[in-house]
Amino acid sequence: MINALTYLIRRGYTQLRTEVFSLPSRTIMLVGALVLLLLPLYSTDPYLMRIIIMASIFAIFAASWDLLAGFTGQVNFGHALFFGLGAYGSSLLNHHFGLSPWITMPIGAVIATLGGVLVGIPCLRLRGSYLSLATLAFPLILTGILFAFPEFSGGELGISGIRRLFVKPVHNYYAAVILMLVLCFIMWKISTSNTGLIFHAIREDEVAARASGINTKRYKLLAFALSAFFAGIAGAFFAHFIRIAGPSTLEVALSFQAVIWGIFGGVATIYGPIVAVFILYPLTEAVAVFPELREFRLLILAVVVLLVLLFMPQGLTPWLRDKIESICQRCKNRNVFWRRECRICSTAMH
Amino acid sequence: MLRRMLAAFVAALAGTTLTVTAAQAADPIKIGIVGPMAFVQGENHWRGAEMAADEINQAGGIKVGKEQRKIELVKVDTNEILNVPDAANAMERAITQDKVDFVIGGFRTEAVLAMQDVAMDYKKIFLGAGAAHDQLSGRVGQDYERYKYFFHVAPTKSSDLGKTLFAVLGQIGGQIRQDLGKDKPKVAIMAEKAAWVDGIVKAAQANLPKMGMEVVGLWQPSPTATDVTAELSAIRRAGADMIFTVISGPVGIVLGRQMGELQVPAIPFGINVEAQKEGFWQASGGKANYVATLDTFGAGDVHITDKTVEFVANFKKRYGTTPAYTAATYDAVYLLKEAIEQAGTTDADKLVPILEKTDRVGTAGRLVFDKNHAPTFGPGYLTGLAIQWQDGQKVAFWPNNWNGVTYKGVKPFKIPPHMMAQKKN
Amino acid sequence: MFQDILITGLVNGGVYALLAIGFSLIFGVARIVNIAHTAFYMLAAYLVYTFLNIAGLPLLLSVVLAVGLVTLLSMVCYKLVIEPVREYESAVLIATIALALIFQETLLLIFGGHFLGSPTLIPGNMDLAGVRVSYQQLLTIGVVAVVLLGTWYLLAHTRLGLAIRATANDLEVANLMGMNVSRVAMYTVAISVALAAIAGVVVAPLFVVDPLMWLAPLVTILAIVVLGGLGSLKGSLIGAFIIAYVEAITVFTVPAGAFLKGAVALSIMIIVLLIRPEGLFGVAFEEER
Repeated sequence: MINALTYLIRRGYTQLRTEVFSLPSRTIMLVGALVLLLLPLYSTDPYLMRIIIMASIFAIFAASWDLLAGFTGQVNFGHALFFGLGAYGSSLLNHHFGLSPWITMPIGAVIATLGGVLVGIPCLRLRGSYLSLATLAFPLILTGILFAFPEFSGGELGISGIRRLFVKPVHNYYAAVILMLVLCFIMWKISTSNTGLIFHAIREDEVAARASGINTKRYKLLAFALSAFFAGIAGAFFAHFIRIAGPSTLEVALSFQAVIWGIFGGVATIYGPIVAVFILYPLTEAVAVFPELREFRLLILAVVVLLVLLFMPQGLTPWLRDKIESICQRCKNRNVFWRRECRICSTAMH
Repeated sequence: MLRRMLAAFVAALAGTTLTVTAAQAADPIKIGIVGPMAFVQGENHWRGAEMAADEINQAGGIKVGKEQRKIELVKVDTNEILNVPDAANAMERAITQDKVDFVIGGFRTEAVLAMQDVAMDYKKIFLGAGAAHDQLSGRVGQDYERYKYFFHVAPTKSSDLGKTLFAVLGQIGGQIRQDLGKDKPKVAIMAEKAAWVDGIVKAAQANLPKMGMEVVGLWQPSPTATDVTAELSAIRRAGADMIFTVISGPVGIVLGRQMGELQVPAIPFGINVEAQKEGFWQASGGKANYVATLDTFGAGDVHITDKTVEFVANFKKRYGTTPAYTAATYDAVYLLKEAIEQAGTTDADKLVPILEKTDRVGTAGRLVFDKNHAPTFGPGYLTGLAIQWQDGQKVAFWPNNWNGVTYKGVKPFKIPPHMMAQKKN
Repeated sequence: MFQDILITGLVNGGVYALLAIGFSLIFGVARIVNIAHTAFYMLAAYLVYTFLNIAGLPLLLSVVLAVGLVTLLSMVCYKLVIEPVREYESAVLIATIALALIFQETLLLIFGGHFLGSPTLIPGNMDLAGVRVSYQQLLTIGVVAVVLLGTWYLLAHTRLGLAIRATANDLEVANLMGMNVSRVAMYTVAISVALAAIAGVVVAPLFVVDPLMWLAPLVTILAIVVLGGLGSLKGSLIGAFIIAYVEAITVFTVPAGAFLKGAVALSIMIIVLLIRPEGLFGVAFEEER
């Protein structure tokens, strides 16, 4: 028994040492996750909790955009559709049938997934800028439909008075942070799996991928469904947290927000958009702490994004990663920048 | 600058408050004014409250028990027109970081519903002054224990707006019958596509025929449509004498302007929130002559209560424009002051019963709350005004002998001369 | 009703065409999806308002100044913001979004969230085939026609036009032939934004000027451009009128559904894309994988 336990601990430690501590980027992510998990020990200020809850929700949303746009190359300009479907789906169920949020949130995500497939089917025929601009239309069409049935959807008021997951801010905080960490880890795992590799191949060269015997249509639909699923969870959680699902969850501005976070953080990384949300979202709120700056906050945000892009056109995290890690020329694995030889294949670096 | 920002952010993280306590005998009472501060609505929220707070502070402040406490206003920019989550965040920030004792304001219903929940979580008294939807006070009735801290101070709630509208429509219909010799005036309904208009539109479709008028159609543009020439052509073809407007968005300006440019022979009356603002004439390029709408304060020449004329004049002197309806924060601050003085405390649970018994004559009428904490509507209470734009001036024309109510300063309603020329048999 | 639809569609289609052609042009030549396109249109409307109503300049001067300044600004923005990141398609996209937000917020700070109106250039109206049209709308149709003809002449009969068309056709070959592709791109940006600015100037007296006015037409012109085929000027022109007529028909046949006109227009776009994925007149860039 004890032996088994020591074995597990040792195994875990070895895993940590070889898979996490060997790469500074992963160490930083682990430290970040720990900081988020331990933060309530330091302060349970409800405002601070709220900001991090919102950042966690949007981090899931931004990462799900990256799964579709960054990895698979289906640059979606209407990602708010999935967020809104999740939010509306779960709130309608909660409102009309009084179902518990624990049931409505997964169903909301499933509804979003169906939406993802439905949108994905026409998008199979489109590519590049056509796809981006066409996807922009879907949330707007849905908004029009919702406005046409105000008794059902609440029109511009949305659906309010939905149940909260937990009452205490700290409980909501842990729900949001753990959900975010788990979902983002899953997304990252998907992106590094075999499926992720195929997604990548589709983005790089769809014809070549097809030529290698990959059913690219099926995989593109899978990417839409997965991405919509995660965005739907984010939307459903958002609705249950803020207790209202309104047309603002479908706005163009929210779709653009996902694009900004994704590109600012660095596409095709999963962690890039997460880092971007956790920098930009608290930053705008920090600016708002100063009454005299409150009206300038969006302006400041836009200027910051622009300046960062001018110096790091590939986004923030790839730029940072290239500073602290280097790629082994033989086996293409990443190493800390100070290593002389590759940690995997022992080839001399540089 | 950067250092201050960092310091403040660290302080915010540590959960400590940033406020520097002023060197005063007693701590000030902090009131958060919530609104979209970059927009006209928020600007008026702030101005109304600022005027009231300055007046009260000059007179020594609020007497709480034996202490004299000053008012300190906190400007809470909710950005609610652009972003709803921002509004909920701002409310939480105001309550937990700025430590406000009370909140007043709110505009976009979707955002106010979200903010209401945050305020209720902290059991803070929230005086709504800007959103009209019945659901806001309806929640008080549904879950009294949770929502009892919310009071709908202004404007008149949307179901009551309908009653006012039909009273005014009746008067205008009478004038059309008299001046144009039409027995059955035709009405086109133009309502923006939004949930708050649905009740009013249904009531109009049911009531207007009973009032001897004919409804020729319903047009529903988007609240932010930039062009209604298509709708106007269709309305002109339908032969409408009146366009019953139920509009809160900028499409109200477009309507006024394009009606003037195309000389559509019909009278636009109803709710047109943009036409209540002083900037409307300019925004419509001076084309919106004879547009009429419900209003709150008028242009300062109408005597609704003893306080109206003086308030509008002072407001105009200080800010250069007449107040929009969200400046009802002025009355809300006074309402709060009087309740606190009566209770001798700022404790929310003790203030609620006192606020519920409010019977106060403010700048826009007499405020008495119903059981859902919404303002009572009707003669002797709040009635609202109806105004018409006449050559660049907002002219009040209603209530004029309505159930015995006539406000001093109302003038006659004018039918557009081009309409007379086109329609007179 | 038929005449109503005809005239309404004609006026709106003209304005949409001005915006869409500029957007399409810069995409065709430089592969830039310029989200800030309608933000420039908004800027021009604000400038005309400022010159006319606040500075009290004469009409013609205000119009020329507004269009000139916005065009100049677009070239500065291109040099400072777009050109340094042109290799990274995603960075260009987000840079234009950021630019649009910067314009929006700056205008919001200077003018506040007020709705403003410019005076009508020519007051009055007339009956045209039983439909009442204001002179301002007729003027708009006239200006649109003149500008579109001018653009066509520029592209078809001048050296610059030849260079632009060549670059649009094949960027690499144009480069190999010794053309300064970067400069051609900058001129194209200038022309495209000038078209947007002219649209802003003629439209300002028809619509309401406010800091969010760039969003609604942005979505419409995206629909038009995708419908007509990205980079195809003919497609944009025809697409503009298709969308304008679809909107007009919606308003006239389903009065209570007038708010749906945007959603209907977008649905038409999706349907067209399902049948022809590269739009009506678009070229499928097979080699650009």
